[in-house]
Amino acid sequence: MATQPGDYTEFPPEIILKPLALVGLSGLDAINNAVHKEIWDAFSNNRRADRTPVRFKLLNNTFEFPVVKPKRNSYEWYIPKGILKKNWVHKRVSLIPAVVVIFYDMDWNDPQWNEKIIECASKVQSIRAAVEGHTTRVAVVVIQSRQSPPPSEYMLGAERAQALCAACEIQSKSLFVLPHSDHLMGYIIRLENAFYDIAQNYYHHETKNIKQHRDHLNKTTHQYLFVRHQFKLGYLNELKQDMSTAHKHYMHAYNNLLETRTVDTNIHEVRTVAGYINYKLCKLLFALNLPRDAIAQLKSHIERYKNRIGSTELLFEHYAWIARQYSAFGELFDEAIRAGLPAIQSQHPGFYYQYAAQFTVKRRQAMRSVCSEALQYPPPPDPLEGIVEFYGQRPWRPGRLSADPHDPQKEQAAILALQYNERMFNHSTMIINFLGCAISQFKTFHSPRMRKQLVVEMANEYFYSADYGKALTLLTHMLWDYRREKWWFLASHVLNRALQCAYLSAKIQDYLQLSIEALSKYIQVPNNDKDRIFRNIMSVLNMNIPAAEPDLPATSQSKALELWQMSIEKEPLNVSVDMINISSFLEVKPKFKQARYRMDEMIDVEVYVRLSYTTTLEVKKSFITISSHTETIEIPITDEGSASIFLQGGKVKQFLCQFKPNPHDNGSELHIKNVSFVLDADRKRKITLNFKMDESKLSDTTIHPELLHFIMSPKADYEFDCIVPLTVANVTSRESKLSIVITNASPALQGEWFPTTFTVTNNEESPINNFKIALSLLSSPDNPNPDSVTELSLIEGTPQAQPIKLSLDTIGKLANYSNKFYLKTNRTATTTVQIKVSYIIDLPEIAKLECTKDFTTKITVIKPFEVSTNFVAMNFRPISKCFVDDPFIVMPQIKILSPWDLFIIDTELEVSECFRNTDEEKSLSCISNLEVAEKHVACDAVCIKAKYKPKDIPTRVGLYNIKWRRKSNEEGSCVMSTTALSGLSIEECPIAVDVDYPAVVQQLTSVPLRCILRGKSTNPIKLSIAVEGTDAYMFSGYKKMSVTVPPRDTVELCYNIHPLVAGNTTPPRLKATVLGENSCQEVVNEMFDKIFPQNIFVMPKYNK
Amino acid sequence: MAVCVAVIGKDNSPLYIGGVGNDTSTDNELSRQWLVHTALDALEERLATTNTGNAGTNTNTARTDLRDLYLGLLYSTDTHKIYGYVTNTRIKLVLVTSSTSPSGSNIRDAEVRTALRRLHALYADAICNPFHLPGDQITSPKFDKQVKNIMMNNV
Repeated sequence: MATQPGDYTEFPPEIILKPLALVGLSGLDAINNAVHKEIWDAFSNNRRADRTPVRFKLLNNTFEFPVVKPKRNSYEWYIPKGILKKNWVHKRVSLIPAVVVIFYDMDWNDPQWNEKIIECASKVQSIRAAVEGHTTRVAVVVIQSRQSPPPSEYMLGAERAQALCAACEIQSKSLFVLPHSDHLMGYIIRLENAFYDIAQNYYHHETKNIKQHRDHLNKTTHQYLFVRHQFKLGYLNELKQDMSTAHKHYMHAYNNLLETRTVDTNIHEVRTVAGYINYKLCKLLFALNLPRDAIAQLKSHIERYKNRIGSTELLFEHYAWIARQYSAFGELFDEAIRAGLPAIQSQHPGFYYQYAAQFTVKRRQAMRSVCSEALQYPPPPDPLEGIVEFYGQRPWRPGRLSADPHDPQKEQAAILALQYNERMFNHSTMIINFLGCAISQFKTFHSPRMRKQLVVEMANEYFYSADYGKALTLLTHMLWDYRREKWWFLASHVLNRALQCAYLSAKIQDYLQLSIEALSKYIQVPNNDKDRIFRNIMSVLNMNIPAAEPDLPATSQSKALELWQMSIEKEPLNVSVDMINISSFLEVKPKFKQARYRMDEMIDVEVYVRLSYTTTLEVKKSFITISSHTETIEIPITDEGSASIFLQGGKVKQFLCQFKPNPHDNGSELHIKNVSFVLDADRKRKITLNFKMDESKLSDTTIHPELLHFIMSPKADYEFDCIVPLTVANVTSRESKLSIVITNASPALQGEWFPTTFTVTNNEESPINNFKIALSLLSSPDNPNPDSVTELSLIEGTPQAQPIKLSLDTIGKLANYSNKFYLKTNRTATTTVQIKVSYIIDLPEIAKLECTKDFTTKITVIKPFEVSTNFVAMNFRPISKCFVDDPFIVMPQIKILSPWDLFIIDTELEVSECFRNTDEEKSLSCISNLEVAEKHVACDAVCIKAKYKPKDIPTRVGLYNIKWRRKSNEEGSCVMSTTALSGLSIEECPIAVDVDYPAVVQQLTSVPLRCILRGKSTNPIKLSIAVEGTDAYMFSGYKKMSVTVPPRDTVELCYNIHPLVAGNTTPPRLKATVLGENSCQEVVNEMFDKIFPQNIFVMPKYNK
Repeated sequence: MAVCVAVIGKDNSPLYIGGVGNDTSTDNELSRQWLVHTALDALEERLATTNTGNAGTNTNTARTDLRDLYLGLLYSTDTHKIYGYVTNTRIKLVLVTSSTSPSGSNIRDAEVRTALRRLHALYADAICNPFHLPGDQITSPKFDKQVKNIMMNNV
């Protein structure tokens, strides 16, 4: 028997099916009539959850309803033969409709109305006859080709509808009209609801019928009937979609069943039915959104039936049953979750699938203990043949209730047959299915470790069913996770099983990799027999078949041996093992000795190798792989010159690899990518142990040497543990031996083209080629963005773009190169100039090596001089403001700050717009061709006057241009420095006064004094003039008078003054008071004050 | 009585797994390790929910510090009950009781809490040993003996 016997524990489809009210549709010719087909499709297609819970069945003419059993009037002598009849549910869901609907094409105004009504009535009659005995309801749908008005407005329709009801003997509410027009779907939905109402009514009536039986029953003989009737009530209520009532009745059925006495002969039937009822109960509880009650129901259900084992010869049936209870519940739970029920990590369907798997394992154990004898299927007649009427009954004793087996021989044969079938049953497939469901659930509900455990169990199942390839795949994945979390005990368990699988499937790559990992100190192997594993690795390397793993199933051993014989000499000949990801018996730490190497140095890498397994390992070839951005090279690891190295178990060995850097790698990083050890026994097979150096991974393993001080371990180990791998090193260019001398006359002066001479000397051992210089300005914190204010050039006076590049050729040994650059800056700060030299040199070790060197020089820039301004009136009195058209003197002062002597060539005042020079022709400056030294002050004087009064006070009087050069630099170009001179406020005075006071007069000599008043404004100004006399003078003229100064005209006042005493005297002065509007009084006062002198020197008169 | 006690490091690697049982056969040890290992799922879920629950508030660090180290019953199977405890340095302590034996099934929460607190103290003592390398498995025989004592007597 090669085929898998069907699993008898599976629930029959009618139990699983969701009960829906059955509506039969008759009179629809869905094949030939397009209209009918459309109607049928509208009913039957696309039955989503939101539509009425109704199932439609198309009844053709030959459909036969089940025959009605004769009604029993008394149950007195009736003994039920079983609990639940197998066909009852089937009848309810697909054979006995709650409603039969007869469709008939007929318009109210049909010409052949009389014939039609007779035909329709006869159809109804024939259906009535067919359902005879059942209380199935009958309804008629009249299909009309067009919309007719409602019967209340359409007399003919109303009349004829009534006539039709009468002819068919139906109530008017059982007659429906279906106009076949645009809104078919809408009518269909309405019809559906109407049918559903009728169906509910029918099921309600049916339940009443069953309830009536109850009075006739008694507990002694009819215990089964109590169960059966309550189950039927439950089911009918489900059809009626009354879930809570259905649940109530199922609960009664379940409790009644619990009360039945169970013996070996009926235990199978009782628990089968109990399982179905429990399934229904749980399903309803989930539908009623009571998941906790559903879980509690299942728990108590299992608890109650856990110990009702039945015959020990069929113990496996008991476990199979429990497993099915769990898996069915898991499915229900899963369905409920998909319908929106939330689940949590500690309560989800995965657990139930897991239980199902566990009990299937128990089932298999039971099978092994009780079925070992069942080697042969019993001879015919087959005891399992035969039809059973009730759920869970045995085919060989149907309908028998007595506890004693009536035919021991037949009973024996039947048990043998069941046992034989169980032996043939593939439990692994079932367990794997359950585990698969559980795994996906545990994954969904955040239990990765539980999932892993189940995957390992699944792999074990594959192992038991001899599917070693699948088992190996699963195990190697799981091994990874356990290794990562360092659960070495579990990892060992998984690894040993995986090793068995690899051996049995003769997969050389996996076998070697797993064997190598098995030698790790963390892994425990059976019998602690690591030597055997090591020998096996060597055997495979030597193209010999390895010894078998312990505890292998005996049946697979010879097959494995065959597989090995076939594959041992074949591919893969080169086995490479990724050692970093597994825990192994070999540990490697590579390390650059320095983090930085110069181009002309040898690069050296130290490789530390520890072999933790006690053996001597000969490595034929080993190398490290180093990569830079240009290339990847392999450097062989040698032990005192020999390529093959010997590693001692428990010892740490150190190797040194040296190599020269590649000139192209200048300035880049070198990475140790890989360390490889090749095991080779001079046969065709090689094992390459690759240690890939992943930087991210290396930094994870935190080594704290300071913590290792107290740890008791061999000295060599301590050193190995303390080594921090260094897998990255920088290669930098070699140090240049060029030198530079810089000469200049620092500090530089602001604005000048400052020359600097630099001389580069080649101190290298050989000439240098392709010598290049680049000059540029460097930004510094106190001088950011120097380019914006500073010019750099090789030619005086002409700025050049930076960096200034000079390309030269060869410079001989100890020769030098000299050049001069100019710098001009307007910022008084330190300017940094970078001189970058690069060249190519041929060294004995490395040819054409590029070298660079940066030199910098700092140049301080200061101001050559400082300019300040004084404003004085014509009499050299300092003033703080001036009047329009009133001349005054600007006196710029140049204070020399430069430590170097300067030569001022010329100066010039450029007055701003509102001023002009008093003289028509610009006079020569007083500071020109002047030699000055530090701390000298040069002073200039220029007479100017204001042209008008601007709106605001002018910010500056003008620009003062100074043309200068260093005194030492006689032929060099001169520098033009410009300074703004500070501003002066300008006032307007309505009158101007001219007085021709002499500077010196003689004692006792009359001097005429003329005072001219000029009107400046457009209005005449009235003044009251008074003379402020002094004792030193006599004077003639009006002492007090009032004058009117006309606009743009003059008034002349004449006086004679006569000095009486000699020496410094105060002359009489005029005072003016503005009459009338006197807002300008103050200005006029100031004007008069300014014009009239405070004192005049009077010469004594000598008598000749 | 407790059947198994485990100390698990912050990287979820086992530091100590001790069990009382008559047989020390591989199967027993294996099932014990599976049990403790799968308990980590529930532990991690608990820790994740406490953290995300606090993430909304600004005082989450303060809250995490104040949380009870004892996490209570993580889950129960037909045969075992598993209790968890997490120290502030994310060292996880797991205590497994047997729900089939009378002393194990009637155990009170407070007793488990006390036992785990004592275990925490023992663990702290054990790692104070300068010869112990943090992150390594705890091999101290004294620790083992004291833990076994907790499992036998107290619980």
